[in-house]
Amino acid sequence: MRLFFQVNPTAAARPRSEAVPDDVVRLVRAAQGGDRTAFAELYARYTRMVHGVLIAHAPWAEVDDLVQDVFLAAMERLPSLNEPAAFGAWVSAIARHCAVDAGRRARPTTELPGTLAAPACERGEALLVLAEIRRLPEAYRETLTLRLVEGMTGVEIAARTGLTEGSVRVNLHRGMKLLRERLSGRTS
Amino acid sequence: MSGDYLWDGCGPRDSDVAALERLLRPLGQSEPPPPFVTLQRATRRVPRAAVFVMIASLAATIALVVVAWSARQPAPSGVEVTRLAGMPTIGSQPMAARGALEVGRWLETDAGAHATINLGDIGRVDVDPGTRLSLLRTRPGDMRLHLQHGTVHATILAPPGQFAVETASSTAVDLGCIYTLSVGDDGVGVVQVQLGWVGFVWRGRDAFIPAGMVDVTRPGLGPGTPRFEDTSAEFRAAIDAIDLGRGPAAVADAALDRILREARMRDVVTLWHLLARVEPRSRDRVFDRLAGFVPPPAAVTRDGIRRGQREMLDAWWDGLGLGTAQWWGIWKQQWRE
Repeated sequence: MRLFFQVNPTAAARPRSEAVPDDVVRLVRAAQGGDRTAFAELYARYTRMVHGVLIAHAPWAEVDDLVQDVFLAAMERLPSLNEPAAFGAWVSAIARHCAVDAGRRARPTTELPGTLAAPACERGEALLVLAEIRRLPEAYRETLTLRLVEGMTGVEIAARTGLTEGSVRVNLHRGMKLLRERLSGRTS
Repeated sequence: MSGDYLWDGCGPRDSDVAALERLLRPLGQSEPPPPFVTLQRATRRVPRAAVFVMIASLAATIALVVVAWSARQPAPSGVEVTRLAGMPTIGSQPMAARGALEVGRWLETDAGAHATINLGDIGRVDVDPGTRLSLLRTRPGDMRLHLQHGTVHATILAPPGQFAVETASSTAVDLGCIYTLSVGDDGVGVVQVQLGWVGFVWRGRDAFIPAGMVDVTRPGLGPGTPRFEDTSAEFRAAIDAIDLGRGPAAVADAALDRILREARMRDVVTLWHLLARVEPRSRDRVFDRLAGFVPPPAAVTRDGIRRGQREMLDAWWDGLGLGTAQWWGIWKQQWRE
């Protein structure tokens, strides 16, 4: 896999949080200086967020492998990150690019029909609900997967993604409202 | 408490949200998260010079590709070394700012010297003061160093099994990771893994060490039992007692008591290794403790574990959710001399 893009987190349209913990900046700078333990700590802190972002976009069966792809790319490209405070947004963007690459490589699949009968097992039902979440507008999709799939709180989502808590709260509530409507329409 | 269940799970329960959480959480990241392992399908980066190939003539194109590709690869008979501090020597001769370490020659750093070995697309190895190492091989897909004493820090981007460091008591096989390996004058080695995995192998005895864990390897005994760095001193001493295997049975029993009493969920890797390392009479106890954290798959029986059956050990490893045993079985096949 090759990644030929330059990620500029300052160009993102969504409002950004100012309250990035100081130790994230310290860890990123240390990792940029070659501190392996610092990069390991960044992996430990952000892997769940990356997994959640990928779940919102990528073929589900490839997500675990793609998490590795994302952090490998992050490790290689870290020297080019000019704003250590934007690490969360930066690695989220890498995750979205990886998901797009994976989607292009994936074999064609049949989209799940909206009138599918109730699946025989919980895993099947979970994947159907995930498919509905993935049809939501992008801003809501990721926030909901981080909350419902990865179990992160609103505060954690804001801290990791770089969004303001206000934005996260709006995304959660509007996304959940839409999801309720769509799931209700599917079962009625 | 916010009183907003969707926000943080606190306050009056929203039954729809709670139902979705219960349904969707199994799709989330596993706890603990899997270690960071570089993918086997990672490809080599195109050399920068190749970008200019597209606008050059055909003859110049071929020449540029050959030159650029050669510049990115280690020399066929050696690797590039960069002096970072002091005066490292290669073959007992002080080196310039850059030098070449060829197969069979020794790189040494004294108390004030520091160097880095550039392995091209495979990664790099940083060499601490007070280290002596030699280059054993630089074959494609098989690069090997010998660390006689001192400390190296490896950052490896190659697919698993392509880079290894031999010591007097084990060979540390890189499985895609970042780690520190130290060897004392007595030949005792310690590996600390910061990211990914390292495999230690010596005469059929192997150990798999993920990020956050440490393993000690001893001459004549090979790799010890991996353990997390945040375990208690008593826990680590108990591991050493079992690995060294000295003294009366009561000592080993007391050590095992300590380990089983203090083991946490994240110590399942330690417990799994112990299944094959404790005496058969003690395997039931380890079996029960590990089963309390991760139930054995249906194919794994107490009797089979007691008898040390490899297929059952592998099946239980697969059940730990850390990657399949088939994967490290493949690199072991590639690794046999």
